[in-house]
Amino acid sequence: MRDDAVPALYFDGASSRRRAVMLEAGAQLVIREDGAMLAAWPYDSIRRADAGPGVLRLRSRAAPELARLDIADAGAAARIAAHCPRLDEGGDAAVSTRRILAWSLAAAFSIALVVVYGLPLIADRLAPLIPPAWEARIGDMVDAQVKTIFGGKTCSGAEGSAALAKLVAGLDKASGLASAHRPAVIDSGIANAMALPGGRIYVFRGMIERAETPDELAGVIAHELGHVAARDGMRKLIQSGGTSYLLGLLFGDVAGSGAAIYVTRELLDSAYSREAETRADDFAGDALARLGRPPEPLGELLLRVTGEKKRTAMSVIASHPVSAERLERLRARNFAARGPQLLSFGEWRALKAICSPANDGGRAG
Amino acid sequence: MIQDPTPPIRLPGSSLPEQSGPRALAFSGEDGDFLRLVARGAALQLLTFGFYRFWLVTDVRRHLWSHTSLDGDAFEYAGLGRELVFGFLFALAILTPVYLLYFVVGLEVERLKAFASVPLFLFFFVFQQFAIYRARRYRLTRTIWRGLRFWMSGSGWSYALRSSLWLLAVVLTLGLAHPWRVAALERYKLRHTFYGDLQGRFVATGGALFARIWWIWLALAIPLAMLIAAGVVQARHGSILVDAPVANALAGGALIAALILPLLWPLFRAIEWRWWVEGLRLGDVRAASVLSSGALFGLYAKFAVIGALVVGVIGFVGLVLGAAAIAWSGLTFDELLQTRGDAFTIALTIAMFLAYFCAGLAVGALQRYFLQRGLWRAVATTSFVFHVDALAAVASRGAAAHALGEGLADGLDVAGF
Repeated sequence: MRDDAVPALYFDGASSRRRAVMLEAGAQLVIREDGAMLAAWPYDSIRRADAGPGVLRLRSRAAPELARLDIADAGAAARIAAHCPRLDEGGDAAVSTRRILAWSLAAAFSIALVVVYGLPLIADRLAPLIPPAWEARIGDMVDAQVKTIFGGKTCSGAEGSAALAKLVAGLDKASGLASAHRPAVIDSGIANAMALPGGRIYVFRGMIERAETPDELAGVIAHELGHVAARDGMRKLIQSGGTSYLLGLLFGDVAGSGAAIYVTRELLDSAYSREAETRADDFAGDALARLGRPPEPLGELLLRVTGEKKRTAMSVIASHPVSAERLERLRARNFAARGPQLLSFGEWRALKAICSPANDGGRAG
Repeated sequence: MIQDPTPPIRLPGSSLPEQSGPRALAFSGEDGDFLRLVARGAALQLLTFGFYRFWLVTDVRRHLWSHTSLDGDAFEYAGLGRELVFGFLFALAILTPVYLLYFVVGLEVERLKAFASVPLFLFFFVFQQFAIYRARRYRLTRTIWRGLRFWMSGSGWSYALRSSLWLLAVVLTLGLAHPWRVAALERYKLRHTFYGDLQGRFVATGGALFARIWWIWLALAIPLAMLIAAGVVQARHGSILVDAPVANALAGGALIAALILPLLWPLFRAIEWRWWVEGLRLGDVRAASVLSSGALFGLYAKFAVIGALVVGVIGFVGLVLGAAAIAWSGLTFDELLQTRGDAFTIALTIAMFLAYFCAGLAVGALQRYFLQRGLWRAVATTSFVFHVDALAAVASRGAAAHALGEGLADGLDVAGF
């Protein structure tokens, strides 16, 4: 045994036996127990393994995977370590934090690019490719939810329904849409209208009550037809789904990221949908123009419904552009009515009363 | 040479003849080291949008494992951050179609009845249990002691099924079945746990745990029942409380429940930990625990108080900075809301987000410090192991498992430490 032999503990990786050994730093690191050689590790195969404080633990790529040497004496440990040129390779310590940082930022950047630019593009391309039957199914699903949320009451006064059908038929024809759309009136005081994937359109009673002329209501319905024509419902679905998924990927399980994902997605979604709203307004303007009716009443109705809201901090988040801006845009292309009234006075009155119980058809569940 | 830090100790209740006496598990980590580790990890998580989590959990485990020793030899965690990244990517490849399938099935069910798809989340619960089992297998096969690894057999799906059915029983019995659920799951896990060729088992019974914690259940159930009764009384009388004295008494009961709950939780955890440690068997090796409820209560209390302080300070700094920014912009609050200050409001929103993330990460770091490391140390240093000689000549068996389970657990938000 040589003078510079170092005491160590050896575990051979085949059994949990704890052997007190002596290490000799020759051409290789020789491990001896009571003078008998147990193993010899080439220096460039030796790597560091985790151990408690004050202990150098070694493993070797030339030995069984879990064979370990524990050296407790600091001076001896340093002498042995000096022989091993590749001691710190292969572990996590070999990966520099700067590299992790750089790759993470690159990944985050590319995800952000995909969310902001890629997804709208994908949704634009993908939405027209979704078979109409699928879209109709999704529409059925949302329909069931809308009916549950609003108590499932639709209005079907006979005369009012006839007037509404006439209004919609005229708009369908004017905008060159192939299929006939029959909007349903939901018995809710909320002043709103919506288009679902698959072409279903809802007008809420509140909207009909707030409308003062057939032109105003026609504008709202034409706007929703614009969403249907552009398949905005489908597009929004693809965008929101993709955005949630990618943001979830990005944030992972940073504490409480759920709320952050939600808010970020809302911000992005509403930015997309503000463009869609402007397009739908233009679509409505075109359809009305073909019927010889002015587009301005649509803007006036919107302004009446939302009130004189100015652009506020919240309007970054609001999904619709500020009504005043929409009115300005519609007013810019306004003209004096040149076509016939869309509904007679009697028809308009029947439509306004479509939800009143006195009306013959009553309400249908 | 490594000195055995723990002289043999005779514990009350150790009736088995000891050749070498019980050995305490030792924990030698420095508080400051670990605090630096998690603080640095939190900062890097912020800078990497959370991607650093794979390396952070690996570092945390390496610290905990390597500072814990049994019979003088330290444990070793041989997992790598990049293994977790690959596990995560694999999990993504599996979870993406699963999420899509979930979406399509949900669509079909919704068509039949609105919101009927809500129970589908149960599928994800089962999947989470699968992930928990597989993640445990990864961690266990990366745990090395005396040149041998721990490992695990068994089926993740079988475990998931047991866990889910037992949970159903717990729900149906209003929580009373909890001890038997834990016992059944621990039996399954330990039966499939090995150190080399030494097989584990779990011998503690649900009945024994129930006998120790039934009164906690009662202490919670009574005020909760009172609260529900108060709700019923109020609902029956409309929105205004008519019978104020009765309702007040009931609400008072609920308040008491809310106050004692934080006291009962550490107590419950300590009882459960002691019961668990004492049920562990590895061949002839067994363990005992003298963990005190006070130690756990201290950890939870420190976490709650310091966490609240840190969040408060971050919130206060955020408010002061926000107010300073608004003052600097020269806008009144009304003007701020009215003007087209988009760039400014966006900057403010981003600043709010940053404060929010900082608070979240700080709480995460404190949670790692107190509730992971603190708990680990509390349990380890109060546990004694009998018959360590049985560990002297165990033969090697078992292979390293893939990190897919960890990735799934991460993707399904059930990652442990």
